[in-house]
Amino acid sequence: MRVVQVKCPRCQQPIYSKVKDLAFYCQHCRTMHIRNGGTNIIDFDIAEFSPNARGDRVYMPFWRLFSSFTINQANVAGGTFHKLSRMIKGTANGGNLFIYVPAWETAVDEFKRWSMGMTEGQPMYSLRQDFNNVERGPTAITKEEAMQLADFVVVTMEAERPGTLQYLDYSLQVHDARLVYLPFVRGAQGLVSGL
Amino acid sequence: MAISVGLNCPACGGAIQVAEGDNVLNCGYCGSLLWAEGDAGVMTVAYRNVQGRDSVLRATEQWWRKGWKARDLREKGKLLECYPIYLPFWSTTTRVAGWICGYEERRHTDREGNVRTERIPMEEMVLNDYRYTSIACDPGDLGIRYLRNVGGEASFADFESIPTFESTTSKDEMIATSKQRALEEARGDANVPHITFERVIAIPKGISRIYYPVWVVRYSYGERMYMATVDGVTGNVLSGRAPGDPLYQSLAVTAGTSIGGLIAAGGLAFGLGAGEGLLALIGLVVGGAVLALTYRFFRHGSEIVEGDFEGKAADMRGKLMKEARRTFRGFHT
Repeated sequence: MRVVQVKCPRCQQPIYSKVKDLAFYCQHCRTMHIRNGGTNIIDFDIAEFSPNARGDRVYMPFWRLFSSFTINQANVAGGTFHKLSRMIKGTANGGNLFIYVPAWETAVDEFKRWSMGMTEGQPMYSLRQDFNNVERGPTAITKEEAMQLADFVVVTMEAERPGTLQYLDYSLQVHDARLVYLPFVRGAQGLVSGL
Repeated sequence: MAISVGLNCPACGGAIQVAEGDNVLNCGYCGSLLWAEGDAGVMTVAYRNVQGRDSVLRATEQWWRKGWKARDLREKGKLLECYPIYLPFWSTTTRVAGWICGYEERRHTDREGNVRTERIPMEEMVLNDYRYTSIACDPGDLGIRYLRNVGGEASFADFESIPTFESTTSKDEMIATSKQRALEEARGDANVPHITFERVIAIPKGISRIYYPVWVVRYSYGERMYMATVDGVTGNVLSGRAPGDPLYQSLAVTAGTSIGGLIAAGGLAFGLGAGEGLLALIGLVVGGAVLALTYRFFRHGSEIVEGDFEGKAADMRGKLMKEARRTFRGFHT
């Protein structure tokens, strides 16, 4: 086993952090890279805080997955099946969708809350160039994991609707994954969106 | 679990703490972010052997006194060998996420004896991390297949002085087996009797190779040879074979045949006397079961076997799965 100091692949500056983060961010040249069998520089987005977002600010990472989704057949006992077909942009049974997967290590309920909330809400935000010294939550879920979890998110969205899901025949294809830092404010009840 | 790996920060030289399976480390001294690279993506950790020959022999002697082993084992048992080895284990963490939908059927019988079947729809979410360990070589007659302890200090300091078994099973095989087991467990957790829809994925989160110190103790009793293995970290006996006691066997046979015979005869007499054929049959079955257990103890009681030997592996696997479930829930590990 070999241990190496993490350095920015672009400017070669060492990276310092107090938390374990799979996404390495260079404060000097604002480059982010991940290591998975090699060193890969990645593109990422930082969303601007709403001016009304006051309190303990923090940026939390999400994998935003640009996906194609087609519903072939579905059956819900005692309820309706409409959420996905309502959201996707395209034909009645299929189209494109951004799926948001929380990239930090989170409890199950929080994972469901934010993945469903962001995917349903499709957040709109303006971009900024840096984190403006706001704390950044560590990334713990890899891009590959997030792409696999996309299936889980879309089925969860249907299963959490009234009624009991009995059958769902669909196809899902993830075309692209991008790390997106969305603004949050820490409150007494946990994280609150800062958009 | 934070463990010391006996390595130093390449930036400042400070000692590094790392959790098994973690690739990203933080130097507690200079704050540098560090990246641990394993061989072919596998992090290798070796636990420090903290037991000595004396403590291992004490543990073995204590083990001799437990259970149905020969009472004079401590006097007549002769130590032949006592030495440490490193055994390789695979350790995997697999995340399972998905939904299993379907229904269960409940039967209701009304006063007139009509049976109505009610179908209750079910949708169950699965989102768990499962951890498995498995020995990465042929354990031979050691009776060790799984790693029970995951605490301790890790160090490669003893690697030169203690014989080490090489890995002979592949990591790909272990990952595939872990995925399969995790999916099976997840289905068991969901507990949906009739499945109409299932979308469950198993994501390998990490794999490590752990070299674990084990002491092998070989001894004789009478004309026969026996062995025991002792955990080099905790000092507990992991597995072993020991002679049984003829007195216990005789007592068990006497008591077992008496009780089994009485139950069977009593059931027959009472049941037939009262005209209850079913009662007689139950008496026969229970009595027969007691006799069968008695025979089993008599047949195998000449040798007491503890550990993951052939034939006991399936039981152990079930036990480890339950341990995995208790330890890892949700996304917090």
